[in-house]
Amino acid sequence: MDSLLVLGIETSCDETSASLVADGREIFSNKIATQLDLLNKFGGVVPEIAARRHTELIGYVIKEALDSAGRTLNDVEAVAVTSKQGLIGCLLVGVAAAKSLSYALQVPLIGVHHIEGHIFANLLSNPQIPMPHVCLTVSGGHTMLVYVKDYCQYELLGSTLDDAAGEAFDKIAKFLELGFPGGPVVDKLAAGGDKKAFGFPRPLMRANNLDFSFSGLKTSVINAFKDKVARNEKLPLEDIAASFQEAVVDVLVNKTLRAASMRGVSSISVSGGVSANSRLRQVFRDRCQRQGLEVFFPHLSLCTDNAAMIAAAGYARLKKDGAADMNLNVLPNAPFEV
Amino acid sequence: MKVLGIDTSGYANAIGVSDGDRISGDAFFEAKTDSLEKIVSNIDYVLKEAGLCLGDIQGIGVGLGPGSWTGIRVGVTVGKVLAYSTGKPVCGIPTLKVLAYSAGDTSALVCPVIYAGTRDTVYAAFYRRGEDMITREGEYYVGSIAGLIEMINEPAIMTGSGAEAYRHLFEQKAVSSGFAIEVVESGLSGAMVARLAARRFGRGESDDALSLEPLYLKESTARAFVSRYSAGAQAKGEGG
Repeated sequence: MDSLLVLGIETSCDETSASLVADGREIFSNKIATQLDLLNKFGGVVPEIAARRHTELIGYVIKEALDSAGRTLNDVEAVAVTSKQGLIGCLLVGVAAAKSLSYALQVPLIGVHHIEGHIFANLLSNPQIPMPHVCLTVSGGHTMLVYVKDYCQYELLGSTLDDAAGEAFDKIAKFLELGFPGGPVVDKLAAGGDKKAFGFPRPLMRANNLDFSFSGLKTSVINAFKDKVARNEKLPLEDIAASFQEAVVDVLVNKTLRAASMRGVSSISVSGGVSANSRLRQVFRDRCQRQGLEVFFPHLSLCTDNAAMIAAAGYARLKKDGAADMNLNVLPNAPFEV
Repeated sequence: MKVLGIDTSGYANAIGVSDGDRISGDAFFEAKTDSLEKIVSNIDYVLKEAGLCLGDIQGIGVGLGPGSWTGIRVGVTVGKVLAYSTGKPVCGIPTLKVLAYSAGDTSALVCPVIYAGTRDTVYAAFYRRGEDMITREGEYYVGSIAGLIEMINEPAIMTGSGAEAYRHLFEQKAVSSGFAIEVVESGLSGAMVARLAARRFGRGESDDALSLEPLYLKESTARAFVSRYSAGAQAKGEGG
């Protein structure tokens, strides 16, 4: 299996994506159809509406991934699909498509855990990341610290007990009527604000574990806002955004560095939608530099959900575990295991 | 022409193969909450039982629904991606039409009924047999079973799972109205989907695989809410 062209498919949430990746390393194409129009209209992901959109788009997205890479279906040598973790109705569409392709083309089918995909997003952008290392993967759907022993060998160190970090961004943005998704708008707004204006809590930052909690922080931000309104005071939206973002960044960076120190590793990778946050990247870089650690981020196009990371993870899984059964099913709440 | 027919609208995998007007295979696999898991294995099983492989199939028919939203998404996605990846033509067939054919050779009005998942709400339509095909009269119906029963003002044959579920109400209507209203037992059939698709192929028709979509007949609750809200807001704006 020296050279293998994998078609990746990702439909676990609100992005319909298909990608062609050679040998788990070289991206030939990575087509992503977002549902931003729907998300803005409904203020978030509505599972039934997202699933309908996936059904509409899946064929086009696969065709575009092939066309833009100058390849045909006959060039596809394996099909990898997100089958674990996500919205059930959305995952179903991707897996139904992947099974059909695998059956028609007589090529191996591979089921991939969405979180493993995010870890591979970073490995795709930075193949030089040393093993072992600690990976913080953080998005609107999850917040996890993973000890990456080697390719496809993981240990979950900690995860969020309530909201995901990206979810907190989304909910704050929704509350402040800034639109959806919240990450980019809060990031932009925060750039002009004072990050010390509000002393928002850093939940679990000093706790003796590697778990996260963002629900209380979100409430605290909303209360601070309401308090200002009740007192008829000027609403410093930029300051609220900057102080909130700083609290999230503080917790994420501190816990990740602690995980790295506990495991004695000198490399950190950060992935998922929130890894695109400019302040998070800056603080990670500064702190890691001071402590003599290396930090890696995926290319911006690989931060949010995409099929290239699924194709890359699928390639590694195929080498390690072989192909999946044709009765591959979706596991929306599958825990992330080794 | 060998056609593969798939219908997953009713918590099952109904899969069949037709060759001209002959049925080479027709199987019904229950899949209460999970039409996805065995869909491809079931297709492979039916093809092999018929002595065929996917490469022998010359066209694909897909039951579009209405029915279980998740179910029809699985069937339509499998149908369209199989068609796209084999380069074979595909035809979507409304599941209500498939059920209308199960009334057999009759000149009476045929009304297939499918339970819509919420209390006493059904999907239905009225069909009548013409010279060589059945045609739908009027729009698809989505609403209460009581509303549907009120619409029946002539002798009719009721088919589909909904007809069976509300058999007693149709029998009451027959007594109160004096019309002969008959409930015919009928289920989903992949072979019937295949035959109806074959007829469309025979007329030179087919659907575009990539744009093929399920026939939901109902908006998702969130979209319906937003539509109502914006219609209300608009009306208010016009009034003010």
